[in-house]
Amino acid sequence: MAFKEIELNMGPQHPSTHGVLRLKLTVDNEVVLSIEPVIGYLHRGMEKLWESLTYPQIVPLTDRLDYLAAVSNNLAYVLAVEKLMGLEVPKRARYIRVILTELQRLASHLAGVGFMANDVGAMSVLLYSFQSREGILDIFENYSGGRLTVHGIRIGGVPFDLDKKLTAMIRKSLAEIPDKIQDIEGLLNENRIWKHRTRGIGVISPEEAFALGLTGPALRATGFAWDIRKNIPYCSYEDFDFEIPVLKGGDVYDRYLVRMEEMRQSMRIVEQALEKLPPGDFQAKVPRSLKIPPGEVFHTIESPKGELGFYIKSNGTDKPERVKMKSPSFINLQSLELMAKGNLFSDVVGILGSLDIVLGEIDK
Amino acid sequence: MSKARSVLRKFFLLDILQGLLITLKYYFSPKVTVQYPEEVQTQPERFKGMLRLFRDEAGEPLCIACKACQRACPTGCFDIEGARREGAKRMWPTRFDWKLDRCTFCGLCVEVCPTDAIRFSETFRMTSLSREPLLFHHPEMYITAEELQEYLCKGCLG
Amino acid sequence: MTAETLVFELLIPVAKIIAVILYPMIMVIVMIWLERRVVAWIQGRVGPNRVGFQGILQPIADALKLFFKEDIIQREADTFLFNISPLLVMFSSLLAFCFVPLGESFQIGGYTLNLWVAASPVGLLLVLGLSAVGVFGIIFGGWASNSKYPLMGALRSVVQVLSYEIPIGLTVLTVVFFSRSIDLVEIVNHQQHGKVWFGFLLPVSFVVFWISGIAETNRAPFDLPEAESELVAGYHTEYSGMKFAYFYIAEYVHMVLVSSLVVILFFGGWLPPFPNIKFFSFLRVIPGFVWYLIKIMFFLYVYVWIRATLPRYRFDALIKLAWKWLVPLSLANFLVVVAVKYLL
Repeated sequence: MAFKEIELNMGPQHPSTHGVLRLKLTVDNEVVLSIEPVIGYLHRGMEKLWESLTYPQIVPLTDRLDYLAAVSNNLAYVLAVEKLMGLEVPKRARYIRVILTELQRLASHLAGVGFMANDVGAMSVLLYSFQSREGILDIFENYSGGRLTVHGIRIGGVPFDLDKKLTAMIRKSLAEIPDKIQDIEGLLNENRIWKHRTRGIGVISPEEAFALGLTGPALRATGFAWDIRKNIPYCSYEDFDFEIPVLKGGDVYDRYLVRMEEMRQSMRIVEQALEKLPPGDFQAKVPRSLKIPPGEVFHTIESPKGELGFYIKSNGTDKPERVKMKSPSFINLQSLELMAKGNLFSDVVGILGSLDIVLGEIDK
Repeated sequence: MSKARSVLRKFFLLDILQGLLITLKYYFSPKVTVQYPEEVQTQPERFKGMLRLFRDEAGEPLCIACKACQRACPTGCFDIEGARREGAKRMWPTRFDWKLDRCTFCGLCVEVCPTDAIRFSETFRMTSLSREPLLFHHPEMYITAEELQEYLCKGCLG
Repeated sequence: MTAETLVFELLIPVAKIIAVILYPMIMVIVMIWLERRVVAWIQGRVGPNRVGFQGILQPIADALKLFFKEDIIQREADTFLFNISPLLVMFSSLLAFCFVPLGESFQIGGYTLNLWVAASPVGLLLVLGLSAVGVFGIIFGGWASNSKYPLMGALRSVVQVLSYEIPIGLTVLTVVFFSRSIDLVEIVNHQQHGKVWFGFLLPVSFVVFWISGIAETNRAPFDLPEAESELVAGYHTEYSGMKFAYFYIAEYVHMVLVSSLVVILFFGGWLPPFPNIKFFSFLRVIPGFVWYLIKIMFFLYVYVWIRATLPRYRFDALIKLAWKWLVPLSLANFLVVVAVKYLL
């Protein structure tokens, strides 16, 4: 039975698309010829909404963009506003921001790896990674009250201080995570079925990745060593000693390995930050009604998904004139077609999982 | 790993056995499920539950109707009016409307309140079968946890 | 018509037939509960525990839910084949249980009660053949659904089942080589006379048979044709309500059948461990069919354990595994066994 080019639809409701994403696939006898993603099912009009809100009011709404890594979104926006204002944030606040962001990176990678494994069939890995994630979400809940929509950063600093109870809690949770990561690696790294499903699948070369604008762990898995925390340091990342994992394969397996190693490096950063935490203020003085003189700024950070950036244009009032968000998942999704071409369509699910996209970011 | 060793490892299915032993270990470990209606976890002190207004020791509302929370809220769920009574320096709220269905529980109102009148409580069971009870007027902002669910389901439960 | 003939010729066979239908059904109900609980325990959660004591009424709740669902048939579907395919799949698996012995025969008064319906001298062939008849149900189901994707899924299932029949046949040959008979009761008896069960004597045969058995029943890690997160859904997509329940139950019945075969062929059926050593004869206090049930439950546990742990094979690797690895391996295994037995 010969199937010529047929068009398959992986609809907005599907157990494996990470959110409401529609993929139109053209398939020739099981080999993928082209993929067209159709997005917009989660569009909430964020960028237009922000034009009618004041600068501090926007911060809690940025939580809802990349909902698996809320603190990263907060950080990107707040750093852009502070750069526009020219505000200097005290050192203690910067270190606390680093701790929160790196914990959030751990949580996001745990969720990403868990979902990728679940799509390929190893359903227990999802549950184990979410168990570790619970420890981190408990830290966030004790810090600011929110587990998913953390709102842990304010313009000028952080809302609360890290007292002894919280630092003890962070240390305790961090002590339990390496064992879980080792279990997940024992279940997946050497497993022949996992290697068969992920090695050599979804390969992309560093030149193609660079041309498409791919960022994040997917770029570092192709061999291109680019991490904004090291190349253009922000928020006192230059004070910490950590490494950026870079692998050469460019396939799904390498992206998975890069994420696992990044988790270990994040734990290293958090330990160093907890040790070196300087005394001082955790908030700078910011006027009650924040008016920023006209100007524009574009500032990017390294979120767990890739390069996350905010472009803000101010016009002297207390509301911004235009806010544009550069979301990494939106740009990473473009590379799906290049990665999946030539592979069987059973692999599309694995490749999509390895890209680790979040529809909240794509659709805003 | 030498070629011979990896061939033997593949033939004897050792990688699969390694994975199976890990899941066996979890089979015998304590389970993390919290059986919900019977066991409820305690909330941390900064938990973002339902918003409540508070009174001081004399029984007077702490809220001075300065509308700082109304200005700070990103979703516009407050509608406040205040008036001064005879011979008093401070204002009292004559109207304090709060919409539960608009609140995002961001905490900006709690942070800006100068008298610490509005705070988060630890109530998270706030379900209602219709929209009317979700608009809270001034007296209802003081309802405590136990009476809240009853108030929200006013008359709906048989 | 004396009372004796009435009981021995009529009532006992009828009771056996009812038992042969009830036994797999009860095992299926236990399996549904077991699968959900064991997968949950492996994942660190508890599983269904609200419906009935510790959730044992959950399968009844699932069955009732499926019973009350609307029975949808496509307008263009071939109605006769559409209705008949769940029946075919169930029928073949259930009929095979007539030939599977449950325990050793024991004496009541002067009458020998055999714990099987029919011990045919070619029992093994009949069981293997009947479990292959289920393939027809899959093909009819995929074809009658009148839709591209169930048809593709059905074809893949059929290819998978047929490919893995061959290693099953070849490994069973090694067992038959030792027991000199394809009567299932004789195979178990032979394991009693011989010093050691065939599972320990022929470990390669056992492992290849077990892997092929998992692939036969379309279970993880070989469950691509019916997995939820894949694009091409299985042959049972268009079925709803009770017909889908039949496919679902038939899969579990097939699992129990494969486990029974493994236990009978390789692990001594209803024999207690160490059947020949005097020291362990106290284990005979527990009757034979209880040992049999314990062993079957162990293999069903292993089914669920494997499902919760391993990722899925992609379809082409699945077929490659059968033809490139298992078939040559089982052939080589057969030659080695024959050579060793001849030389010793």
